[in-house]
Amino acid sequence: MHTFFEILAYVIIFYMIFSSLSYVGLFMLAFGKVKKESKLDRRESTEDILKNPYTYPVSILVPAYNEEVGVVSTVRSLLALEYPEKEVIVIDDGSKDSTSERMIQEFNMVQIPFAVRTHIQTAKIDAIYQSSIFPYIRLIKKANGGKADALNAGINLSSYSYFCAIDGDSILENDGLLKTMKPIIESDGQVIVTGGSVRIANGSTISRSKVEIIDLPKHPVVLMQIIEYFRAFLIGRLALSHLNILLIVSGAFGVFNKERVIQAGGYNKNTVGEDMELVVRLHRLLREEKSKQRIEYVPDPVCWTEAPESLEVLRSQRVRWQRGLFETLWTHKKMMFNPKYGAVGLVSMPYFLFVELLGAVFEFFGYFIIVGGLFFSLVDPQIAGILFLVTVLYGSLISALAVLLEELTLHKYPKTSHLVRLYFWALTEAFWYRPLMVLWRIQGIFATFRKQAHWGDMKRKGISS
Amino acid sequence: MTIYYLWIVVAALFLSQLVLLFILAWRKQRLRTKEQAIHAQYEALTDSFSTYMLDPSDEKFSQELRSSSYKEVVLEHLLNGYVSVTKGSSTSPLVAKLSEDFLTERYTKQLERKSWAIRMNTLYFIEDFHMQSLSPLLKEKLHKSVRLDQETQQLIRTLASLNESETVSALAKYPDAPVRLYIDVFKRMELSTQERALHAALQADHANKTLKYAAISYIGMAGLTAFLPLIEKELNSQDSEIRIQVLKSILRLQYITTPSSLMPFFHSTSWQERMFASRIAGRLQLSRFKEILGELLGDSTWWVRYSSAEALTQFSDGDILLTHLAINHPDRFARDMAAQWETFLLGSEK
Repeated sequence: MHTFFEILAYVIIFYMIFSSLSYVGLFMLAFGKVKKESKLDRRESTEDILKNPYTYPVSILVPAYNEEVGVVSTVRSLLALEYPEKEVIVIDDGSKDSTSERMIQEFNMVQIPFAVRTHIQTAKIDAIYQSSIFPYIRLIKKANGGKADALNAGINLSSYSYFCAIDGDSILENDGLLKTMKPIIESDGQVIVTGGSVRIANGSTISRSKVEIIDLPKHPVVLMQIIEYFRAFLIGRLALSHLNILLIVSGAFGVFNKERVIQAGGYNKNTVGEDMELVVRLHRLLREEKSKQRIEYVPDPVCWTEAPESLEVLRSQRVRWQRGLFETLWTHKKMMFNPKYGAVGLVSMPYFLFVELLGAVFEFFGYFIIVGGLFFSLVDPQIAGILFLVTVLYGSLISALAVLLEELTLHKYPKTSHLVRLYFWALTEAFWYRPLMVLWRIQGIFATFRKQAHWGDMKRKGISS
Repeated sequence: MTIYYLWIVVAALFLSQLVLLFILAWRKQRLRTKEQAIHAQYEALTDSFSTYMLDPSDEKFSQELRSSSYKEVVLEHLLNGYVSVTKGSSTSPLVAKLSEDFLTERYTKQLERKSWAIRMNTLYFIEDFHMQSLSPLLKEKLHKSVRLDQETQQLIRTLASLNESETVSALAKYPDAPVRLYIDVFKRMELSTQERALHAALQADHANKTLKYAAISYIGMAGLTAFLPLIEKELNSQDSEIRIQVLKSILRLQYITTPSSLMPFFHSTSWQERMFASRIAGRLQLSRFKEILGELLGDSTWWVRYSSAEALTQFSDGDILLTHLAINHPDRFARDMAAQWETFLLGSEK
């Protein structure tokens, strides 16, 4: 028993050191980029793109399933976007509520015939509508096929070479699309995918589809998600993007080169992590072609979304995310440790496997050793206590560093009290939020074996008034 | 011993958290106070600034500005607001004068700063305010630059906005310079300088194809019909990209001297050429090509089918033609496309 605990303890310790160092490494990489651009006048840097005839037109795809609460405000926020040429396509994926009816009524839509190019096979399209007020707003009503299928239908109907996929419950800031398209335009199409930051809107005041007052929510579960998003976006994605090995562009908001996506076969309907799977497939395509095209993350275009407030909904979201991660890594296992795929195969895939996927398993065993070790008197309670403190403080330090990056890049939260509150909650993370995440992430790994593609069900309150 | 070290780690982690929180909170508070002060001074100066821009003999604004503790930042905000909302303000001599008087020294220093972001912001503002006095300094920087990175690109744009004609040749030094950047340069120049640069670009040999594409493209964008005969000659070019750029420009200019020169493009092996020829035929309502457009409705490429149907809608009898084609065209895809255009004019925000 003792030997077993000892071996396990060493494995966990080595893992924790590796995981901790990887976070520090990623932070250092992200910090360099943030520091360089922190004082840049974003408005001035995008002014030219707004007037430039070389600004590529964009098709904005809004997949929607039971989004009657938020879909109209999302489309309204898209109408207000500063962008020279765009079209908005809402795809109602067989909603059971009145998502389509709300769209048809609000934008005075009429049914139209449309010669759709079938680049990718999708579930049956029942009807296509076009707004009589804004002819560039369309609605596809189709049989239910999942989010990936809805996005594929949107790709088939879209007219332009670039599309932006945005969730039906999200609000994009006015200049968000301009900022996201900037790397694509400036690279003359060498950047084929860009993703921007996603922020949690709970607590902020959003009216007329615009973020009016930014504030923190009261609910601790949501506050912890804010910190988690900072960490994921500002440390993880920024650093990986810097090395061109970013494997995730948020499903809530991202811009893609349509031709490349069609070439890759569109979104995969057989996974719940269709956003990540597509990006990995695109990387695979680029590496196999030895292409120099890139996938980038842009830290500042902010897309506001509603985060779950109940533990049950959060659990189902995280189980789904973890399952999506597992499915993607399994589908593309050929890339793992394969030098043919360069840094994606040698760094990024192993990072996602050991830190993002199996991290929960290692942590679970870490808790098991502490509790079990104390129970069987195999671990010195004093050492266990101090190790626990180190873990708590180190974890919260990483979160605190993410808050620091937020403060240097966007500093969206205006008050000093916001900072203090975020700090306080970052300190509590290890006592309640992290164990919950570990549990749900492990459940997510098991859930992978129960295949069933579905939308993330979440009761929406709506983020815009 | 181990426990002792672990306690040190715990203390270090805790302290570093506290220090980080303290620094961030202090920094945030300080920035907030500064921003509030700047905002207050901006508000206080807005009225006298507006008066000054209407009547520059009014000395009140200059006096008030001099006594402001953040005069450069406040003036930058005021001028930037004025330039972005007032029509024709980008070449206002008053904006240039105020910025030259108050910001030259600051910007000269800022151009040498280590911070890339500050140097970039300075270049943007010099461009916005048309600060001619900084032109020699910028040229010196351009000569020193060896890579066409973001900063060099903005440097070139800023110099072009100061009507420095040598920016085109400076840009031509970089073989990887994109068309977009050449267009940015043409767009910023004064008309006479721009015309000279375009003539030179069209008449130059084919060593720099990007420059030629950009010149043809810009002529279309800017509606410079005087260049039409020059670019029409290029319809016979061996370079397919040049032919496509010319077709695009003709479409934008909405004029063609000899419509029959379009004929070969309807049967081109390049779908882009067939597509642009169709669009031109529609936009210029060239009835002689109606029959060809009907044929192209059954083209193998979606975009050609789409453009020929769109072109047919431009004719007065387009609806009748499309109704007929939607029923009688031998190609199924052509019938679908005709049916689509028969019922609606595809909307896109222009």
